[in-house]
Amino acid sequence: MDKFSRRNFLGAGLLLGASSLFAKETTKAIVNKNPEYIPPVVAFPEKKPMKTISDRPALLASNRGRELFTEAITPNDQFFVRWHLPDMPMYVDLNDFRLEVKGSVNTPLSLSVDDLKSKFEPTEITAVLQCGGNSRKYYAVTGQATHGVQWDHDAMGCAVWKGVRLKDILAHAGVKPEAKFVGLNGLEKPAMEETPDFFREMEIAEALEDQIIVAYSMNGEDLPYLNGFPVRLVIPGHFSDSWVKMLSEIMVMDEYRKSFFMDVAYTVPDNDCECVVSGSDFEYKRKPIAAMKVKSVIGYPLPESAIKKGSRVKIAGVAFDQGKGIKEVMISLDSGKSWSAAKLGEDHGKFAFRPWSYEWEPKTKGDYTIMVRAINRIGNIQPMPDEIGWNAGGYQYNAVDHVNVKIV
Amino acid sequence: MKKKLLLATLLLSASALFAQVSKPIEMPYVEYPIETGDHDEVVQQYCLICHSFGYVLNQGKKSRPYWKGTVQKMVNEFKAPIPKEDQQTIINYLVKHYGYEATSAH
Repeated sequence: MDKFSRRNFLGAGLLLGASSLFAKETTKAIVNKNPEYIPPVVAFPEKKPMKTISDRPALLASNRGRELFTEAITPNDQFFVRWHLPDMPMYVDLNDFRLEVKGSVNTPLSLSVDDLKSKFEPTEITAVLQCGGNSRKYYAVTGQATHGVQWDHDAMGCAVWKGVRLKDILAHAGVKPEAKFVGLNGLEKPAMEETPDFFREMEIAEALEDQIIVAYSMNGEDLPYLNGFPVRLVIPGHFSDSWVKMLSEIMVMDEYRKSFFMDVAYTVPDNDCECVVSGSDFEYKRKPIAAMKVKSVIGYPLPESAIKKGSRVKIAGVAFDQGKGIKEVMISLDSGKSWSAAKLGEDHGKFAFRPWSYEWEPKTKGDYTIMVRAINRIGNIQPMPDEIGWNAGGYQYNAVDHVNVKIV
Repeated sequence: MKKKLLLATLLLSASALFAQVSKPIEMPYVEYPIETGDHDEVVQQYCLICHSFGYVLNQGKKSRPYWKGTVQKMVNEFKAPIPKEDQQTIINYLVKHYGYEATSAH
């Protein structure tokens, strides 16, 4: 159990003079009855051995844990994997594969990957892909554990995506004036016909935004099979639930279609703070999660490391937000009593991981809690762990991250 | 002109052949530990239709209302074909081996 001190958090809050964006909810006593299950580490196609949370559907996280997040770009062979339905094709033949564009369009299209590569202007964007449930287990530190797989910070990554603008594809098909939504579907299928498809929707205005692409390349290579080969949607700044993998169908629609994966799963309370009292069940009006929240994660040192007194430690990690850009990253070495600015690393664009680092030369032996807190360019600041608004699904966790180390 | 097109087609199909995944992938099978007894065979029969046992193991211990709600979600939303009495068997099994008795939903 982490040694979080509530008093220190309050002190830090006063010091910063910044209030959380989230309305504060009363938290109940800590309930953590979960002796953690350690998933096996297994090699999957095109992947280094990964923590296998589930093999079917595949839910995989890098075995390097936090260490992955000291660099702006996450390697393909360690990039996390999260499918939703049990039956995905084991082979996609590019000679047969077509991305169908249909519905409320003047000219329905049936595009091969070669069509996408040769008939449209290619574009590239570096963007964070983060599962809505990333870091979910940390809700249990200050409140009740939430529903769902208890992800650590490992359901995220950042890559250079190359592909075709969705708006170019839609322009090619000619969207009819009465069209209001774009539905997206991929090749993964449920085990039974009655089970809802992993069907996602977005408003037409959003679908026409410049930065949304149908990607066929990730970090200069074909998409790894388990990350959505041959094409997937990339929605920079948004949680990954609508980044449909093995994208095979773009359905332009005049009306919204109700669906499990839009209206029930991946939702938060439909109120200003997107939160409810910790421990509540799903008895609230919901809305789909969308834009990501400002967040930073410590990549190094690892939790419970022993560090020799007087050695030079380069504390490092990444920060990101919904695409406004990171303005400042602050580090605390005294459990949040005082904060200093970290050095920001190379800027890979406003949707990318922004690496940061902080040189530390610990002079006194003892236990230390390192914390990191990011602010973006529109003044969104990460809440303290005991300030974060709680939701039953455990989505969009973005509270201040911490690592405990021992100086010896 | 015709020649050029032919060449282009050849080049394109050649690049397709060099795709990283040019043959079916083989997905490893993971044998997750499953507590036996209390009709685990019923649990396996239905739950494993759609997902591995990792889904159960990686949620941590949960309360009776939580597991009841989860089984109901599988039936109502995902249309799992589980008869009523088997739903109760599954809930009891999950509470006993991967949960605890409690009145709150968590």
